[in-house]
Amino acid sequence: MQSLINFTYASTHYRPREGMIAFLLHRISGLATLLFLSIHIVDTSLVYFYPQYYNDFIGLYRLPGFMLAEIALMAGVIYHGLNGFRIALFDLVLPSAWTIQRERLSVRLTILLAAILWLPAGIIMGGNFIGYTFLGWH
Amino acid sequence: MPARAPSPAPLRRSWLTVAWTLMRLSAILLVPLVWGHVIIQDMLVGVHKISLDYVAMRWASLGWRAYDAALLCFAFAHGSNGLRQVLEDYIHGQTARRILRVALFLFWLSITALGAAAVIGGVRQ
Repeated sequence: MQSLINFTYASTHYRPREGMIAFLLHRISGLATLLFLSIHIVDTSLVYFYPQYYNDFIGLYRLPGFMLAEIALMAGVIYHGLNGFRIALFDLVLPSAWTIQRERLSVRLTILLAAILWLPAGIIMGGNFIGYTFLGWH
Repeated sequence: MPARAPSPAPLRRSWLTVAWTLMRLSAILLVPLVWGHVIIQDMLVGVHKISLDYVAMRWASLGWRAYDAALLCFAFAHGSNGLRQVLEDYIHGQTARRILRVALFLFWLSITALGAAAVIGGVRQ
């Protein structure tokens, strides 16, 4: 518990640099993705256990709040994948690349690339959100 | 009894080292698997077109079932072990960690069993 208090204190009283930002984003996006994945495996298992309820459950994901969360989840999945790939590459192939300079540059590039890759998803899914929520698509 | 310096821990590949390596290897595999899944299902198809009939149609193909089985195996195990890593940053006691590991293992096993039943059993109509 003390470590959690220390972590919370440090997170709010210490200005993070690239490495800590990458670590925090990786952790938050990973936990959020795991939360959704756990729910998603259970909802998919309905097709075998209670197929009559599957369509009703999927209907929850069409609520406006869930559609917005889905767009945020895409950003998390894209960032977590890119940053995880960066970590795997450095750890397994180029451990000598773990220097402050390369860490800072690679984190900036990872966040930039994640934003670029997320743009088409944000536009398409944002369009769906507006259409289904405000324009009466069905 | 004479005081003796503790002998250094022997260097060996513990399961924690194996888990560390598997997190990175599964990460490389999961980037195309998960991105492919979300590009198709969230972007191109969209949640408004997903229904029981859609799942039945997709799972009529053994290839897509194998794809989803691979996602279930690798993504959920990667996520469960990731949660263990996160929680062990805050939980240091040996007993508490043992309870945490057993609880997480049961969590992983039960959800994976649900998903495996669906992937293997398919849509019941």
